[in-house]
Amino acid sequence: MEEKGSLKVSPGEAVGVVAAQSIGEPGTQMILRSFHAAGISSLITTKGLPRIIEIVDARKRPKFPMMHVVLEDSVAKKYESVRAIWRKIEEVKVSSVLRSFSEDLRSQTMTLELDREKLASYEITAHQVASKLEKREATEVSQDDNIIRVKIKSKDMKSARTAFVHIRNASIIGVAGITKALVQQDEAGVFFITTAGSNIADVMMIDGVDKWHIYSNDIFEVMRVYGIEAARTLIAHELYETMSDEGFTVSFRHPSLVADTMTYTGSIKSIGRHGVAGEKESVFARAAYEETVKHFTNAGVFGEKDMLKGVAENILIGKQIGVGTGMVRLAIKKDELKKVKAKE
Amino acid sequence: MGEGKCYVYLDGRSIGFVEHGRRFAEEIRRNRRLGVISGEVNVAYRKRLNEVRINADRGRARKPYIIVENGAGKFTDDLREKLKNKEIDFNYLLRRGVVEYLDAEEEENAVVALKPDGITRATTHLEIDPAILFGLTFNVSVYPEHNSVGRHAISANFIKQSQGLYSINFNSRYDARAFLLYYPQTPIADSVAYRKLNLGKHPSGQNMVVAVSTYYGYNMKDALVINKSAIDRGLGRSAFFRTYSDEERRYPGGQQDHFRVPAATTEGYLGEHAYSKLSEDGIIEQETPVTEGDVLVGKVSPPRFLEEQTSFGVVEERNRDNSVTLRAGEEGVIDNVMLTETTGATKLVKARVRSVKVPEVGDKFASRHGQKGVVALIVNQEDMPFTKDGIIPDLLLNPHSLPGRMTFGHMIETIASKAGALAGTHYDGTAFSENGKERVDMYGSVLEKYGYDKFGDESLYDGRTGKQFNAKIFTGIVYFNRLWHMVSLKLQVRSRGPVQILTHQPTEGKPRRGGLKFGEMERDALVGHGASLLLKDRMLEQSDKADIWICKQCGDVGYFDFVKNVPVCASDGGNDLEKVEISYAFKLLLDEVKSMHILPRIKLKSE
Repeated sequence: MEEKGSLKVSPGEAVGVVAAQSIGEPGTQMILRSFHAAGISSLITTKGLPRIIEIVDARKRPKFPMMHVVLEDSVAKKYESVRAIWRKIEEVKVSSVLRSFSEDLRSQTMTLELDREKLASYEITAHQVASKLEKREATEVSQDDNIIRVKIKSKDMKSARTAFVHIRNASIIGVAGITKALVQQDEAGVFFITTAGSNIADVMMIDGVDKWHIYSNDIFEVMRVYGIEAARTLIAHELYETMSDEGFTVSFRHPSLVADTMTYTGSIKSIGRHGVAGEKESVFARAAYEETVKHFTNAGVFGEKDMLKGVAENILIGKQIGVGTGMVRLAIKKDELKKVKAKE
Repeated sequence: MGEGKCYVYLDGRSIGFVEHGRRFAEEIRRNRRLGVISGEVNVAYRKRLNEVRINADRGRARKPYIIVENGAGKFTDDLREKLKNKEIDFNYLLRRGVVEYLDAEEEENAVVALKPDGITRATTHLEIDPAILFGLTFNVSVYPEHNSVGRHAISANFIKQSQGLYSINFNSRYDARAFLLYYPQTPIADSVAYRKLNLGKHPSGQNMVVAVSTYYGYNMKDALVINKSAIDRGLGRSAFFRTYSDEERRYPGGQQDHFRVPAATTEGYLGEHAYSKLSEDGIIEQETPVTEGDVLVGKVSPPRFLEEQTSFGVVEERNRDNSVTLRAGEEGVIDNVMLTETTGATKLVKARVRSVKVPEVGDKFASRHGQKGVVALIVNQEDMPFTKDGIIPDLLLNPHSLPGRMTFGHMIETIASKAGALAGTHYDGTAFSENGKERVDMYGSVLEKYGYDKFGDESLYDGRTGKQFNAKIFTGIVYFNRLWHMVSLKLQVRSRGPVQILTHQPTEGKPRRGGLKFGEMERDALVGHGASLLLKDRMLEQSDKADIWICKQCGDVGYFDFVKNVPVCASDGGNDLEKVEISYAFKLLLDEVKSMHILPRIKLKSE
């Protein structure tokens, strides 16, 4: 309390309510569905209110994961070397270079005819495809120019069938999960790569990628790779950016507080019934939000106690709330008061 | 079956095929015009689906068109002359195949010309009048083709809310709610539809002198400044009628209500004063001034439940007071009282209360172009702006209301009515009128003839300072309606008042003298401000504060025994209780939780 003057926020300020109002009010004006133009050079990401809901609900995976890969200074300005990195990132599957294929379940062989033009566009050879497939277990691969024959050594037809599907989905080059990658250039002429799909751990291992500046919008993946503090920063940043993109200026401390509330336990919790709101200590506060009867019956069964400390409970019973002007109390002890009087 | 052939549907049901759908449809049309087939049959050929749809069922909206043949409408000048002289009528034209009705489906096949000079080789029909493009409602307005469509919809809403001479026999009607304008006028600018509907016989507005001007910031957008002297002369003045009715109901068991002045022993007796205006029969007399809370019809009803027998024998039944009182916040004079019988042979009373509603701050007015405004200031005549001729506007309209809404019709009406007032004539403002282009110029020339600016602008002088305004101000006459949204019927305040029985919280709504809701978002706003004591005031002190006794031993809710003068715990019967100030709604919640077989115990701690 003594430090009052140097604090950014006064003691007793209802920061949570203010943050909720500051994010919630512009939220009512945001467009429910934003349409994105189908372009070649742009990647699809969730924007506007749907994205905010996605973050706040703590969805395990964003609808459109996305990465922003910064390259090391030594390569970032050379297009050829950037292209080489790009080729290592974008995932090319067997199916995307296929011209046609046939399956023979009796002999358990699959014949793949590769498309020369497609191979050329990805700058890979049929041999590369064959050698990639050879690494699979219990498979025999024979290559004849652009025709590849794969024989599965399995006992039953069912596993052969699933193997055929797996072969078509097998990745030849690139990082798993990156469906598309684009090389882009900023005003300073520095190249960078944006991707659809996120896989930080694998992209990090590629030479020439700046390991310290990979950005992903997949909050849970960021938490797995970099830890909870990074996830916290990402939540706050994503909330802030989503709102700024729509033209709403929100003070950064509000999304920051939301991020703090979601992550302070060390794991990511959603705002709402299954997360922050559902784990409140007070029975009354939980019952006031959702599933009233459930909370009361549970409280009855387990003999829960409500210490009546929070805001919602105190409004309910009609007591002064413990924020703002309601948190200050007279701090003079009765005995001290007597001493003062005695002096006089 | 029927491949490549054209399906034929009658009233939506497939009835067969024809080879050439279009020709088939044409043939039906030809026969209809000849009178072989009923004129109520419509046929449409759907080219894309290659099918013919014949409709003869009821409930289709249909519209008449003049048939065009060989590049000319069949309604010739000769026929027009005959129709004028009443030698023939509209049905004659229908029978002779001059005019026919099309439904929505057949319209898709028609190529309709708006005016005779718009007829091309493809044209099949001609509009009877281009104004028919708008419906009846829009055509009642003037110069509608100059306004944006959205304004028409708004205007239509306003017109049905306007006060006027709504019915000639208003004096013998007992409408639940009725308004009657004191001096209704017919508009100077009107339209064909207005005249044909005889709306001038029961007009609903007044021609007001309107200047498009500001007035010391009092007429912000959609606010009006009104001339007090004009109001004193009767501008916008109206009578408001409200009918209260009641009947002597019969109840099972042979009991019934009685109209009478209730005895002081009656349950729910409102006090001697409330019944003072009733005559002997318990019904109020004509021309009695009444105010809020006065009883109009005294009525006693039998008790709701049969009285239980006590050891003293049958107790005399206490009747309930069930009188009709004047609504909260209203006053007036009893206009008329009617005593009659219902179909159930019970006595029925209807009492009509009349009150004069003089325009005041907060009342609503609107022109016929969706331009509404609320009276913001009433200014004495001498303080209003005036022209060199000494003309003082009745109304000041804020200039902001014009450009954004693009109601050019309003402005044209302004100069048309001004010209009409000078020339002493009515002007026609029907949509798409033949001389539409020259109309505005004509009004301008009339204005010039009488020495006014042809654009309707005038030099105005400030009534307060006498100085001439720098700009010329657009001044003219506009037909304004007074709408029935009036403050005197809506204004409500509460400092103390009734509370709900269940929650002990204040009631809601004007008829119950209720408070204004302090909702969840308002609550959050106070929490956000940290205004904890204000929040407590709203949620507790001014709402459902209650003193509840809590047992210190078991934590259950108890009560105070006034006979023994001690608090008693309902659970353990002890007397060690503490009085606690909580919201009654919380006590109610505890009761409900108890009803779920959960016992909440409250542990007290002294501060």
